[in-house]
Amino acid sequence: MRLVRIATAFSFCLLFASFASFAAPAQKQKGRAAKPPTKSQKPIVVAPIDTAALKNILSEQRERPLLINFWATWCDPCRDEFPDLVKIDSEYRPQSMDFITVSLDDFSDIKTSVPQFLGTMKANMPAYLLNVPDPEPAIDLVDPGWSGSLPATFLFNAKGEVVYKHFGRVDPNELRAAIDKLVKKTDE
Amino acid sequence: MKNLAILLAFVFVIAGLAATGTRAVEGEIPAPPAIGATIEDFSLPDVSGTERSLKSLAGKKGTVLLFIAVQCPVSNAYNERMEKLAEDYKAKGIAVIGINSNVKEDAEAVKAHAAEHKLTFPILKDPGNKIADKLGASVTPEAYFVDQNNKLLYHGRIDNSRNADQIETSDLRNALDASLAGKAIEKTEAKAFGCTIKRG
Repeated sequence: MRLVRIATAFSFCLLFASFASFAAPAQKQKGRAAKPPTKSQKPIVVAPIDTAALKNILSEQRERPLLINFWATWCDPCRDEFPDLVKIDSEYRPQSMDFITVSLDDFSDIKTSVPQFLGTMKANMPAYLLNVPDPEPAIDLVDPGWSGSLPATFLFNAKGEVVYKHFGRVDPNELRAAIDKLVKKTDE
Repeated sequence: MKNLAILLAFVFVIAGLAATGTRAVEGEIPAPPAIGATIEDFSLPDVSGTERSLKSLAGKKGTVLLFIAVQCPVSNAYNERMEKLAEDYKAKGIAVIGINSNVKEDAEAVKAHAAEHKLTFPILKDPGNKIADKLGASVTPEAYFVDQNNKLLYHGRIDNSRNADQIETSDLRNALDASLAGKAIEKTEAKAFGCTIKRG
């Protein structure tokens, strides 16, 4: 009987932990107050990119995997997932992976709200803003199966093939697992 | 021991389901119906709470269903264009119906937004995003055009740009004009670009 009581207590702890992690993202959202970038931080420069330039990036010879995140300042899940992406960037980009972000904000935001948000997030990865009259060809170029909904995250291997994609807020552990798999393969 | 094993197995199943559920919320939007499919009639409350059916609001020559939002800057960039679309095609027999499926935007907010932006076409509230799920709508603005028999003829964006001065292709208007002229619609699908519909 004692064993069963211990097991019951352990089970409830496990259940609680499970649901606590389930609810964690929502709590994080509330606590993420926007802080202005510190004075010592480099100013964030967001470069315009068109479909042809995006195609060049996707098709260029590379030695490392490439992670691309498409986002916008007006997209709630994009903003919510950004701290996870910044963390993943710091974990992988220095040694084993390239990472760029492409904002789909309006071009008029390229020097205002987009760099401001990236600065707040302390995001150092190369940042672009898609500057095209029609986003459809760029969306199709990246992945014909992508509806254009944001956020969208794609992981390309060194051959330029999509090996992982996620629409909606990323699961950082799932993304890490996909990168780890690829980095190991690349290193072999 | 047997009780212990059963209890632990139960806990792991529940924990597993909880973890899986986190991803399902964001990732799994039902696929939209194929072009040519018939959309079943449905009823939703308008901003005053009165149930309105698609059939009761439909135009004689077809209906445009527009998924729109209160707070989405992309959808808001289309407010004037959507109103103009409704005005231009009303006389031609095509009705425009707005649908707000965002869980965080209640009927009062939708009503106030419509008044502020002078949107005169009917706007329905989609509690529980039932119709958004049924139609596989994922963003705002996103358009569906059905003919008088509710056959889906066009699905996608209104036009190519949120900036009115950069419009190159008015895909929705092209579809409506072709349908009114009895011609085949050249482009029946165009990717809608906008804010993700916040589902409940």
